[in-house]
Amino acid sequence: MDTETSSFETSEMLGTFLASTPLLSESWRLCNLANANSPQSFLVEQVGSIGYVAFSGIQSVSGSDPSFRNLVPLPDVDINGFFYPLHRQSEEEEPVMVQGALLRGFENIYNNTSFQIQMHALIQTSKSIIFTGHSVGGTTASIAALWLLSHLQSNFVNVSVLCITFGSPLLGNESLSRAILRERWGGKFCHVVSKYDIMPRMLFAPMDPIAPHIKPLLQFWHWYMKSPHFGMLAVPLSDEILAQIFQFILVHLRGLVEAGEEAVAGTFRPFGNYIFCSEDGAVCVDNAASVVKMMFLLFTMGSPSCSVEDHLKYGDYVGKISSQFLEKRSFLQGELPESSYEAGVVLALQSLGISCKEPVAGPAMDCLKAARRMGRTPNLNCANLAIKLSKINPYRAEIEWYKAFCDRSDDQMGYYDSFKQRGASKRDSKVNLNRHKLARFWDNVINLFESNQLPHDFHRQKKWVNASQFYKLLVEPLDIAEYYRTGMHRSKGHYIDHGRERRYRIFDRWWNETSGSEKGNKRSKFASLTQDTCFWAKVEEARDLLDALRSTSDPSQLALYWHEIDCFARCAKTLVENKDVSIDVVAKNSSYSLWLRDYNELKSQMELFRPQFLSFVNEEMVP
Amino acid sequence: MGTVKLGENMEIKVEVIKKACSMAMKAHKYPEKQYLFDKIKSSSPEVVFSFAGSLSVHDWFAGGSFGDMEVDRRLFPSLKYVGLDEIGRVNEAFFKRFKAVLANPKFELEVKKAVDDRRKVVFTGHSSGGAIAILATVWFLEVNSRLPNFIEPLCLTFGSPLVGDRIINIALRREKWSRCFVNFVMRLDIVPRISLSPLSSIGHQLQRVLDYFNQNPQQPPADAPDFYETVVKNASSVANYAACKIMGSTNPLLETASSFIELSPYRPLGTYVFCTGTGKLVEISNADAVLQVLFYSSQLSTEEEKVPVAQTSLRDHLNYENYLKECLRTPIVTSLFHLHQEAPPVTSTANVDMDLNDLGLSERASLCLRAAEALERQKLRNQNTIDGKQIDIEKCLGNLEKYKSSCAHKAGYYDAFKSSDQKEDFHANVNRLELAGIWDEIIEMLKRHELPDEFEGQKKWIRLGTRYRRIVEPLDIANYYRHLKNEDTGHYMGKGRPRRYKCTQKWREHAEKLRDEFPGSCFWAEVEELWIRSGSQGTRESILQLKTKVEKWIGEEEVGDDVLLENSTFMKLQRQHGLAS
Repeated sequence: MDTETSSFETSEMLGTFLASTPLLSESWRLCNLANANSPQSFLVEQVGSIGYVAFSGIQSVSGSDPSFRNLVPLPDVDINGFFYPLHRQSEEEEPVMVQGALLRGFENIYNNTSFQIQMHALIQTSKSIIFTGHSVGGTTASIAALWLLSHLQSNFVNVSVLCITFGSPLLGNESLSRAILRERWGGKFCHVVSKYDIMPRMLFAPMDPIAPHIKPLLQFWHWYMKSPHFGMLAVPLSDEILAQIFQFILVHLRGLVEAGEEAVAGTFRPFGNYIFCSEDGAVCVDNAASVVKMMFLLFTMGSPSCSVEDHLKYGDYVGKISSQFLEKRSFLQGELPESSYEAGVVLALQSLGISCKEPVAGPAMDCLKAARRMGRTPNLNCANLAIKLSKINPYRAEIEWYKAFCDRSDDQMGYYDSFKQRGASKRDSKVNLNRHKLARFWDNVINLFESNQLPHDFHRQKKWVNASQFYKLLVEPLDIAEYYRTGMHRSKGHYIDHGRERRYRIFDRWWNETSGSEKGNKRSKFASLTQDTCFWAKVEEARDLLDALRSTSDPSQLALYWHEIDCFARCAKTLVENKDVSIDVVAKNSSYSLWLRDYNELKSQMELFRPQFLSFVNEEMVP
Repeated sequence: MGTVKLGENMEIKVEVIKKACSMAMKAHKYPEKQYLFDKIKSSSPEVVFSFAGSLSVHDWFAGGSFGDMEVDRRLFPSLKYVGLDEIGRVNEAFFKRFKAVLANPKFELEVKKAVDDRRKVVFTGHSSGGAIAILATVWFLEVNSRLPNFIEPLCLTFGSPLVGDRIINIALRREKWSRCFVNFVMRLDIVPRISLSPLSSIGHQLQRVLDYFNQNPQQPPADAPDFYETVVKNASSVANYAACKIMGSTNPLLETASSFIELSPYRPLGTYVFCTGTGKLVEISNADAVLQVLFYSSQLSTEEEKVPVAQTSLRDHLNYENYLKECLRTPIVTSLFHLHQEAPPVTSTANVDMDLNDLGLSERASLCLRAAEALERQKLRNQNTIDGKQIDIEKCLGNLEKYKSSCAHKAGYYDAFKSSDQKEDFHANVNRLELAGIWDEIIEMLKRHELPDEFEGQKKWIRLGTRYRRIVEPLDIANYYRHLKNEDTGHYMGKGRPRRYKCTQKWREHAEKLRDEFPGSCFWAEVEELWIRSGSQGTRESILQLKTKVEKWIGEEEVGDDVLLENSTFMKLQRQHGLAS
């Protein structure tokens, strides 16, 4: 239920809400402590019921380290499986990649037993844990949070995790960002980025050309973080070099923004929420493309020197925005727009310190609007699909009814064979029509999902996993029947390898990922639908094998055929014994029953004529 | 004397407000009496009960962060979200004080006498006395609202802290009791806002503030500005969180972050009348909007205001009598909302803008108020959409009723549907699925609070829900056992029963004041389980019990008499155990 009249811009309200909580200021306090007291390391403190873990922004990684920007595939380097949930990926995707150097940094901290002991104690005493860090420390905090989230997932421990970073460099690629959304962890990351800070933007550009200058910059920052009381010193780089770096990053950011919403392969990509803050407030954006765009737009308003200093000013920003609740912030730039939504966007810009007259105001407004649209469209689509699903349910019910009818029918063929040998009756063609309608619906679902127009965790939502599974169980046998009815196997090859629709393979994966290795109770009656949806295709292949068997005399071929046939016969027997098949499989005249008769007959002939051969087969069969 | 008009059809006599206010203040002077009771004039129909407040921290917060507890279901059976069975929460300390009043037999007698004399009962209180008045009014409504010739009570509070959570507010609106509650709040009065702070953040200062109220020295305590800042900060978290919700934010960070902090569960209830300090009264009855006003009206225009505003926020709490005397001379009450107009007051008339100014509200505040109002409109629109589906529901129900009677010459529609071998069974299944789609959507909307608070009290929906449950649930049970779902999921009554039936059952039970019992529409699930257990110990007795229950259910039309058809599974079950011929 949604109409434009009831729409409001919430990015600023969410930012304001976060600023009104003690979370940002507590986190910053501990980041500061970690910077000053625990270089290369971390500190732990319990505040009320929350356990804070702050990582120092002073880590050994530096600009001259060739691996500072290097993305490495996570599944390859994560040999301990710390981040196991992030390893899974879909076929066409680039693997999940993260900054190798920082990952190693985290592993060093992890291997320090004090970290493991303290984390263990924290999980016992706190129901909620916040990881935080300034600069590189924030990226380490993100890795630590990903580690704990993965750990909790496999150990079923209930602890809330939140990660708050300040001015942190990027961690990984688009696949990482998507994997995090898929695990529904996006809401657990909150990256605070000030208007001009160069650090969180740095990795959008290739590092090699500017690497020599980055090292002194990092050292300068580190020095200040360790002893802020000495006040701001001069930046150890000439204005010219600074301007060069600034321009270099600006150009690459612009390039990325112009490339549009799609991420460029092999590049860094933000994930989670970004809280953009200025002296005037905070705004929260969670769409990756909009985050990149907002980073760019705000950066264009900055200057080389403030882009370096801003990295050290988070204390001021956090202080400002967390005490803002007390003052009535009036809008003094003239009239607010009529519509509530537009007014909210203008107020959000005010919070970003952008006046309506500035040239970036227009693009920044568009950026917020796009973020909102992209944030909401998937949910709206999902709600619409739910309605469509309930509309097509009667088609499915009709096929169920058809199955029940065939299962009871006097010819005792079951719905697979009835459909395969169907005549021109109205009922049969109705069922075939329904089969097409359902296929169209589900293909559309997959299409929407793969083009990111549905929520990222769509394939984890029980409703959809169950509905797609049920569809597959009921209808795939009919698809197989149609395939063999029309003789497609002769022109294209057998169904499982050459004819199976992609949707079924995808639904297989959805089902396996969510249900895991669930073992059902023993069935007392046959299942209402055969649990192995390719069962009939296997029957068809086995029948082909029997034919092949009859027409060959080559002993090695025979052995191979027998091996495969016996294999299938055994599997099928187990399925039937466990009642994992539906009643139609064992109908008197079903393809399976006919096949089984042939098989047993052939087998007994074999036993009569080729006893020694059979013993050889048996050896093969029972290793 | 004149009257004060609140909203569309609510009028209160000025003399009642004045009398209530003065009695509310007077009650503090007789703490040993628990309550005072008086008529306005000997001739007038109103009787006023006023409750004393308490100024000890223990009487405000019973412990924990916010000192809230689940309501006592026996005293307040209506204070819940019916269909989803969520119980409201109230402030435990206030509830205890109310129970102490109730334990005084004189109180109940005097209230009863007023009812018998056909007088209008007015409950009132200032400060925490207001909280007692609210609970007394709810109690009064629970006891009396269904009596013939019931006269609606009135609850007038002055500077009362918040008493209950949002479920309480929903419940009061559903029962149509909400309009009985009128809360007067001075624009800056700190007390209603205190309820939005966790005790841990204000604990040590709160007692000093309460002492100030008690002794009323010239100067407010020195840490008043700090106290003010803390209270407003906590109010801002609650209000901003609520604003994100009413503006429709779906960002998961909102829920993550809120689970890390303590957010007050308390919400305003009833109508609020804000005294602007400029001689005006502004009325708001949308609870979401009131919450926003409580926060935004305490923001400062300049840093310098902090000390004087903080002091006023304490002084104003003691100022109701004088102030109201002044502005009730020529009472002007404006309403912030004009809900029944179609054009939203976006640019709003100059008047409303003035009122926003008088309350010290910024642009951001008025956006939040618009959002609160837009949400209420949206809920009404949702209700219209759902109402539009009644026709579809009735059509399907009609089909299924026909199906049921067409099966009466066989073993009944339960068994027919379970074996599903006729075309009609298939059509019945399509109707069942269609209905499930519509009802699941309604339940989802209730879960997400997308329907008006009054929805669950609407007779037409309660009736339709009952009709639906009675006719269709047996089909769901048949389907459940036909597909052997009990072998994976267990007994239907355990995890198998869909929410749409539990919910519609709860509606009826609440509306007709029935006890929570095993519903007749689940009769077949019981039969199936007994069938499975056939032969094991105690089955025979259970069947006998079920037999007596069935007679009762058939009488109530919970169950159709087709269950007694010769070949129904139920009769077979009985024959199997030698209980029928």
